[in-house]
Amino acid sequence: MLNCKQASQLASRAMDEKLSFRESAALKVHLFLCRNCTNFTQQLNFLREASRRSRFNRNFKLTEKAKLRIASTLC
Amino acid sequence: MTPKNNDLNTQTWLEEYGDYLFCYAMLKVKDNHLSEDLVQETFLAAIMAANSFSSQSSIRTWLTGILKHKISDHFRRQKREVMIDDLVDQTEKDGLDIFFKANGGWINKPDAFPNPEAALQQHEFWKIFQQCLARLKPKQAEVFLAKEIYGMSNADICKDFTLSSTNVWVLMHRARLSLINCLKINWKD
Repeated sequence: MLNCKQASQLASRAMDEKLSFRESAALKVHLFLCRNCTNFTQQLNFLREASRRSRFNRNFKLTEKAKLRIASTLC
Repeated sequence: MTPKNNDLNTQTWLEEYGDYLFCYAMLKVKDNHLSEDLVQETFLAAIMAANSFSSQSSIRTWLTGILKHKISDHFRRQKREVMIDDLVDQTEKDGLDIFFKANGGWINKPDAFPNPEAALQQHEFWKIFQQCLARLKPKQAEVFLAKEIYGMSNADICKDFTLSSTNVWVLMHRARLSLINCLKINWKD
């Protein structure tokens, strides 16, 4: 049986790559039995969604004014 | 080898890499105006040094390298400790001890974010998200930014940051745990 620490590592890795059949099965069993780790996978999904959208959030972008200013110094 | 002429189009650089470099600078210096200035200096230096570009690396990596120097210069001017590129996080073992007990159980049990969609609509949430990102260990923040925010592939990340794929997922796991933790503490709906 996986403990939560191991399950969390698999859950995180599963965001980026395909787990082996054994890993994937072990994770599924653990998630079926563990509310905490199920919540953690929801948090992972939320974090991914937030990260994807952050790129388009104005806090994460140069302002148009700054772009113009930079562009003008480059020509 | 110098980049092809169309690669040297600085307008394209600004459009394509400007936001990424700005974000990267924000992680380090945590100041809007300063970050804008550093991005500007980076592009200027890049134009001057275009023939030092090696096609071995992507333009993004090359520009990021220049930006790192600009950031180091800035901190040196400020006579602060330069810690831009601590290669691997100092806290070894697995760095997960703050999240898990010795038996592998959670120290703080994760609960679902109450209202995720609403959070993403709020300006305050994004400020906190950015602050949490800036609080990560430098390498974690850089890899997270490139991978999760700018969608770089695992293969490119391994190459650009000279990391093994195991390094990448270990870094990513720590980054995710830390970010989730930071958001939970600081974001109150």
